[in-house]
Amino acid sequence: MKKIINLTINQLAYETAVEPNKTLADLLRYDLKLTGTKKGCDTGDCGACTVIMNGDPVNSCLVLAVQANGSQIETVEGLSTDEGIHPIQNAFVEKGAIQCGYCTPGMIMSTKSLLDKNSNPSEQEIREGISGNLCRCTGYTKIFEAIESLRS
Amino acid sequence: MLLPKFEFHEPGTIKEALELKKKWSSTARFLAGGTDLLVHLKKKIITTDHIISLQKIEALSQIRDNKDSVEIGACATMAKISGTPVIKEKFSALKSGVDNLGTHLIRNRATIGGNVTNASPAGDSLPALLIYKAVVLLESLDGKREIPIEEFFKGPGKTDMKVDEILTGFRLPTPPAHSGAHYIQLGKRKSSEINVVNVASFLEFDPKTKKILNTRIALGSVAATPIRALKAEALLKDKIAEEASFYKAGEIARTEDCKPIDDFRGSAAYRRAMVGVLTKRTLATAFELAGK
Amino acid sequence: MKEYDVISTRANRIDTPDKATGRAVFVDDISRPGMLYGALLQSPHAHAKIISIDTSAAEKLKGVKAVITSKDAGDIKYGVSPARYDETVFAIDKVRYVGDEIAAVAAESLDIALAAVELIKVEYEILPAVFTIEDAMKDDAPLLHEGSPKNLCAEVHQEFGNVEEGLKNSDIVITTKMKNKRQDGAFIEMQGCIAEFDNLGVLTLTSSTQVPHYVQRTVAMVLGMDVGKVRVIKPYVGAGFGIKASANPMELACCFLAKKTRKPVKMNYTRDQVFMLARARHQFSHTITTGAKKDGTLMAIKHECWLDGGAYTSFGIATVYYTGSLLGGPYKLDNMSYDGYRVYNNKPACGAQRGHGAVIARACFEQQLDMIAEKIGMDPLQLRIKNMMETGDTTCNDLNMSSFGMSECIEAVRKGSDWDKKKGHMPKGKGIGMACGFFVSGAGYPIYRSDTWHGTVIVKLTEDGGTALVYTASAEIGQGSDTAFAMIAAETLGIPLENIRLASGDTDMGVDLGAYSSRQTLMTGHATKDAAEHAKKQVLEVLAEQLKVPVESMDIRKGFIEFKGKAPDFSELRTRYIKEHRGWIDNPKSEKLTFREASRIAFLEKGSIVGTGKYKPHLLGGKFKGAAVGTSPAYGCSAQVAEVTVDMETGQVTIDKITDAHDCGKAINLTSVEGQMQGSVSMGIGETMHEEVIFDKQGRVLNHDLAEYKIVTSMDMPMVEAIVVESAEPNGPYGAKEVGEGAIMPTIPAILNAVYDAAGVRLYELPLTPERVYHAIQEYKEKNNIK
Repeated sequence: MKKIINLTINQLAYETAVEPNKTLADLLRYDLKLTGTKKGCDTGDCGACTVIMNGDPVNSCLVLAVQANGSQIETVEGLSTDEGIHPIQNAFVEKGAIQCGYCTPGMIMSTKSLLDKNSNPSEQEIREGISGNLCRCTGYTKIFEAIESLRS
Repeated sequence: MLLPKFEFHEPGTIKEALELKKKWSSTARFLAGGTDLLVHLKKKIITTDHIISLQKIEALSQIRDNKDSVEIGACATMAKISGTPVIKEKFSALKSGVDNLGTHLIRNRATIGGNVTNASPAGDSLPALLIYKAVVLLESLDGKREIPIEEFFKGPGKTDMKVDEILTGFRLPTPPAHSGAHYIQLGKRKSSEINVVNVASFLEFDPKTKKILNTRIALGSVAATPIRALKAEALLKDKIAEEASFYKAGEIARTEDCKPIDDFRGSAAYRRAMVGVLTKRTLATAFELAGK
Repeated sequence: MKEYDVISTRANRIDTPDKATGRAVFVDDISRPGMLYGALLQSPHAHAKIISIDTSAAEKLKGVKAVITSKDAGDIKYGVSPARYDETVFAIDKVRYVGDEIAAVAAESLDIALAAVELIKVEYEILPAVFTIEDAMKDDAPLLHEGSPKNLCAEVHQEFGNVEEGLKNSDIVITTKMKNKRQDGAFIEMQGCIAEFDNLGVLTLTSSTQVPHYVQRTVAMVLGMDVGKVRVIKPYVGAGFGIKASANPMELACCFLAKKTRKPVKMNYTRDQVFMLARARHQFSHTITTGAKKDGTLMAIKHECWLDGGAYTSFGIATVYYTGSLLGGPYKLDNMSYDGYRVYNNKPACGAQRGHGAVIARACFEQQLDMIAEKIGMDPLQLRIKNMMETGDTTCNDLNMSSFGMSECIEAVRKGSDWDKKKGHMPKGKGIGMACGFFVSGAGYPIYRSDTWHGTVIVKLTEDGGTALVYTASAEIGQGSDTAFAMIAAETLGIPLENIRLASGDTDMGVDLGAYSSRQTLMTGHATKDAAEHAKKQVLEVLAEQLKVPVESMDIRKGFIEFKGKAPDFSELRTRYIKEHRGWIDNPKSEKLTFREASRIAFLEKGSIVGTGKYKPHLLGGKFKGAAVGTSPAYGCSAQVAEVTVDMETGQVTIDKITDAHDCGKAINLTSVEGQMQGSVSMGIGETMHEEVIFDKQGRVLNHDLAEYKIVTSMDMPMVEAIVVESAEPNGPYGAKEVGEGAIMPTIPAILNAVYDAAGVRLYELPLTPERVYHAIQEYKEKNNIK
């Protein structure tokens, strides 16, 4: 039986009915058409589906949509503003930290959470801060450079 | 990948959760962090008709410092445990264990109760719980029950928890002065790893005589459950805390305490050898920390 | 040296703003009105006869729109190389691996489709299965394919020069073996597709592919349609690395489902299905004998290799040839023989992956170079320099190095890694090692025998004159090809990059063989340059007529027309342009005539200005059997130095640093070149250190997820210093050649050589799990009586 849930996504309030077995990732992608959040494994191994839930980055493929009832969710679509793209997104573009781009939304959400909590992360903290986000294209080097360029 | 259909329940109290569990019994499963449960459901390794989410029960995710002990709620996430000052200061081996579980994303959801009830011999938080002499706190509608963590594990994926019980948390006595502990896990890569061997050691010594007063060594991934290296521990009793003693303890742990098997992650022979190395190394670091 | 305005810079990629903001559309982000969802029934058995298939229960399930089997899809064989087409969409008589496709369902929702798949009843007669080369070659082994006795899929026998003589004249002869493990591409986007027919019978397949062109031809052949009635569109693709370089059974099944239902059908692989389809790097077992003179001169290579192929050929024919041919360089060597065998068995088929065929051969051989250097007391870096080919040299198997910055690469890593100070002076447990490699810049011939152009490009100027549209059927899969072609078009036309709009990955835009064999920068790049030159010429011809100046006296740079000598009076043209633009705000005020004005005038005179470009390589290679594989208009080359720490008690290897120099001819986009180098290194590290597809005794993949199949994480990746070397390739557009695959060649042997330097042990089997290294160290200690 479907359940009505209320949640805030990128500062917009949503009320929607979901089956209990629907994941947050599928709710975002297929019901709400927020397809910026990607799925690369569906089992919490790749991090492509990373969203920030109540301040912490999580694998949205391992969160039930019903569990997100009452939550604050941030997705990659919420970062850009009327003023343009977010500085993190800009740094990823400028430093060449994006190749195929499939891990990028998740990688950027982990980066946002990392920098929200620690504006001046060390190299090790940067590595740890994206350790759940697999990238097969870049070898991470330019991703590190992009994040390093954002240190305060 | 789709999850099977199930009914979702979200009780607000432990009592409500227990009532639901009693009603649906083995057709229901508790959902804590979901990082294992949802994966196993998606992969059709397990099935369930009812999911009882524990996330709305605040009492379950608290971490309380009672000075002589610390109580960790079963639904405290790995990230929360890692960030708690008393854990950082007094339970560094546990911090190290929870920091090594999965990835930074998994640790924001995965709970210590989930890690323990999964009862994987390789579980990252388990050796530390063993060496800190954790007491498992269980509750059913009939009342509360406490058992030492060593008695809780019954085999891979099997625990002493009854079908109508809930794991509410753990109580860890605060380690004494002049003690230290350390945890090392060995895998193939440095993140998101399933351990080939993991070892935690606790050591208390007399600063005057340098004699070891107390030691506990826990070995993961080398038996059906995480185990204590009791023979190695016995050997260390009253020995001088020094490299040679740690080496000998490692040798005993390797040859007498562990009973590893071959699987696709590693051979029994290698696991055995690494028990020796990691026991020695964790003891040495535990001693170093104890001296601080 | 010529100065460039657009290429040779670090311009931001044109696709990454959309990728950074979540706007870039990948196939699973697309949904179509009335779309159905498809699911596959795949074999649970590794080898079995199909006795019967009963789809009646599945068909009756509410919401099911079609159930198809080989009865619907027919028996047309397809594959990669036409000579070895050995697959059908659905198994007809038997299944050959766990995952072989048997049926497919289209339904109103994915859960209905999956439920219907469960309802299909298949009666099997289990056949004995073989999972290793040894078992598959036994006299009484079950045969996978009729006409392939001993399950031998392919064999190659080649000799160049006289190997026996070469070895006889050698002072040092070294024989070693080397074995890797089956790899998985582990791209983050799992394959997916959407097929739909319009009312005129035209099929559009949107798919996560590297090769729209080959998919188009395969779909047309298998469905019995005209190529012109099949359109393949590649949206953004979450990488491929070779695995997505041929049509997959899901794409074909999806087309059949769309045909039967007359509705759009979407299908996706789950991660475990990606592992089941496989098509990634083979497991190679090499035995190489190398001979050298006391002074280090290389004399001969005798090479034998066995490839564990899996159930079908896939790219295997090309693989088994590449394995031999790409050992012909980068060193001077007159005598080389190769015996290669690819063997079928009941595991998923292997195919092509970054560094196709050549990676493990190089890992074996480059270790031997270090052994030879050690024996004669020579610096291994010096040994390589001594034997290095030079620009213009041709290998004994007829591969011509039309440009070759190999020595520059070696010098760059020597300096970059501080080799001279470190080699021989590292403390125990730490080591340094190096290796070299080279790779094709595009296969010299298409996969099917044809005179076809390898790439065609259209450059169309917009009617307002401001923008150039570039249309190419090439495949941007993450490597940055769209940006490279936009930059080449801008440079050639003489306009800023922001005035280019590019569309790619659609078979309606022309022919392009796609993203494989590191071919696009050189080949599609050439076609792009050709098309842009053609468009530019048309604009200048109109100007010449209008201004009465010869075409040769004009050029276009940075969006302005440049005149040799004094500029003619163009006020009439400007007035005409401004009249056209009445009411617009951006009328030209510059002293120079703008490209925009010239292009608009050209449109007014001649209609749409369309430049067309095309490319195919000149005739390449020798006359012997298999001479085509390994040929290329140009070869990229590289040298790497690895620095490692080995934990002598646990066997854990930590890679501390990689210094990588790559000769890419000319870096169209420097940042993208470095990105390919760093990405190659990370894949090489994964293969060296922890990647390995593991099977159980029934032929099922045990580690079919990204937790247990271990690619490099951010915690494992060492610092990589990427040094770009340029060599002005005469056959490349602006001198450009490959970087996408060559950069992986030296990684594995450089690490292996560094581990030897650190721990004194040589490892002949990958991956370097702590356990494998530990046992090697123990053996070494026992042999040398070390406690």
